[in-house]
Amino acid sequence: MHPVEVSHIAKSFGSTRAVVDVSFAVERGEIFGMLGPNGAGKTTTLRVILDLFKPDRGTVSVLGGPMTEQKKERIGYMPEERGLYPDLSLERCLVYLGTLKGLGAGEARQRVGGYLAQFDLAEHRKKKVKELSKGMQQKAQIINTILHDPELIIIDEPFASLDPVNMQMVKDLLRDLRSRGKTIIMSTHQMHQVEELCDRILLIDEGRNVLYGNLDEIRRQYSGHAVLVRAAGELPVVPGVEQVSLHNNAVKWTLAQGTTPQDVLQALMAQNVILEKFEIALPTVEEIFIRAVEEGEA
Amino acid sequence: MMHKTWLVMRNEILTNVTRRSWLLLTFGLPLILALVFFARPLLTGSAPVSSSVSDGSSSGSELDIEGYVDHSGLIRTITEDLEGKLVAYADEVSASSALEAGQIAAYYVIPADYVQSGHFTYVYPDFTGFEPQGQSWVMRWTLLVNLLDGDTKLASQVWNPMDLKVTALAAEPQREVGTGWEYWVPYATGMILYMMIIMSSSLLRNSMGNERKNQVMEVLMLSVTPRQMLTGKLFGLAAVGLLQTLVWAGTGYAMLSLGGQSVNLPAGFELPLSLVVWSLVYFVLGYTVYASLLGGLGALTGPNQMGSSTADFVIIWPLIIPIFFMTLLIDNPNGTLAVVLSMFPLTAPVAMMTRLAGGGVPLWQPVLGAVWMAGAALLAMRAVARVFRTQMLLSGQTFSVKRYFTVLLGRV
Repeated sequence: MHPVEVSHIAKSFGSTRAVVDVSFAVERGEIFGMLGPNGAGKTTTLRVILDLFKPDRGTVSVLGGPMTEQKKERIGYMPEERGLYPDLSLERCLVYLGTLKGLGAGEARQRVGGYLAQFDLAEHRKKKVKELSKGMQQKAQIINTILHDPELIIIDEPFASLDPVNMQMVKDLLRDLRSRGKTIIMSTHQMHQVEELCDRILLIDEGRNVLYGNLDEIRRQYSGHAVLVRAAGELPVVPGVEQVSLHNNAVKWTLAQGTTPQDVLQALMAQNVILEKFEIALPTVEEIFIRAVEEGEA
Repeated sequence: MMHKTWLVMRNEILTNVTRRSWLLLTFGLPLILALVFFARPLLTGSAPVSSSVSDGSSSGSELDIEGYVDHSGLIRTITEDLEGKLVAYADEVSASSALEAGQIAAYYVIPADYVQSGHFTYVYPDFTGFEPQGQSWVMRWTLLVNLLDGDTKLASQVWNPMDLKVTALAAEPQREVGTGWEYWVPYATGMILYMMIIMSSSLLRNSMGNERKNQVMEVLMLSVTPRQMLTGKLFGLAAVGLLQTLVWAGTGYAMLSLGGQSVNLPAGFELPLSLVVWSLVYFVLGYTVYASLLGGLGALTGPNQMGSSTADFVIIWPLIIPIFFMTLLIDNPNGTLAVVLSMFPLTAPVAMMTRLAGGGVPLWQPVLGAVWMAGAALLAMRAVARVFRTQMLLSGQTFSVKRYFTVLLGRV
């Protein structure tokens, strides 16, 4: 049983088709990345999964069936539009929201104390939420999402408003949650963040699936169009190389259509070049996305 | 289910009663009134103005000493109970000097042609700037006695021509409609209920509006059901509203008591317990209907958003209708319009309570009205809960009054 299964959902608002046809399944204990540009239909898809919107078409199964009130307590959700009670103290606000998620007041208080210490917010616990910095509020949002120890965590744009230090902290937290068997769905338009974290991805564009599957497999599938080369001396001119750029301590050759890495390697061998490095360059998720969209349009 | 409703309710109460603005309004307003009430006598050098309703038979012991200048020569007799309370002066200059010296509280000037014109002048230093609050009836009574050649018995009959004894057939005291307390008690009851419903409902509208403004709604919808949220907030804010009313009523009463004053309603008047109970019933039901409708509006538009005022007005309008017909409701409490307005759930709270305060309403009518209202309250809550289940709340679609009512009617 998949924690989340989405099958051919569609959702329109008036004449706007937010989601046209999206299908995917999320494995237990993985970080699943839902990617796409702004307006691709990611947030609407998440809201359909959470039963905040009814789909016009298609089916959704969450934790083994349709959404129920009981299941909502097993889900942690951090929406893109984040908000807390600005006039409440940080501690009281988190304890209140925790109790609404089914925690006892004492337990909620205890957990909030632990997380505030972990997130370096303990000294701010009596401050009103509106007195906290944006980054602190973002961390408070994350605490609110995981406070009740949910088995399914859905986070919309988790890295928005975070500085590099806190961004790294959130990444570490997500990895930690995955190691504890939590299932995480992460929606973002920041594709480079996904490369570090996600096991599997779904690329959405204009409300439709563009790419879906294991990230490494997808990257391998889209690889072969560039190689990383470093030689003892100067690199010769090789036919079939379309573009040359520097990449760390090597040169990245983007290959022309019809040229394979084997062709390039043979050409180098033929010229007796002493190679220190020859590696097939894996494309970035962004490059994959652009190519996938272009292929789809073609 | 109940637990989460309780959590929402408790949070609403705690959040509101610890808010500075609420504390200021609830305790600050009576405090300011008390300061004005008690500081005025210190500034003016006189006792606080009595709110008593006096009549010709009142004892003269509570009266201020006043003077009079009688150019008509009419006043020959001063009744016993006013002896020492009315001092004659030969001319206005000496009366004015006595007033300035504080020897008298006011003085009257009776012109030579009083018998023909019926006019006299009352010189009274009124510090309120509102209606004169002196004791001019003293002179009217004195003139009447003297016009009747000192016959106080006859004067009493002219002053109060009908010694009416009312025997109530119903258990509840029946009151006669007039322009005195018989008018103002029903009027005040209706208005107080109107204000309580509007004020408490506005609290819920703002609370829901703030949930939207603070962007908490989406998280809440994954934590509590719409009914839990609505019920918790409804009861919590009703408690806050009632607490505020109690504080105001309590401090008002304490203020009057400490100032040695009392609301001196006629001796025959008593506030029936049934009126208090019905007030509570109609407040709770009226508040549930209006707070639900305004709460749904707040959730969709946020607090005090421009353009949403039309919707506010459309929702509140039915509650205002009985106020336009208040005199009619009091003059003819069992007329067709009064009965219809007090049976229609949206106008019932104000209309029914106005009628009940006037008395003479058959018991089946408030009972039936309350049943109708309970049904309307349930429907309103269910309809507004629907707002939270529709995409309207999160989809960013433009708000319109028509769309709101379409959702309430379940046509989306």
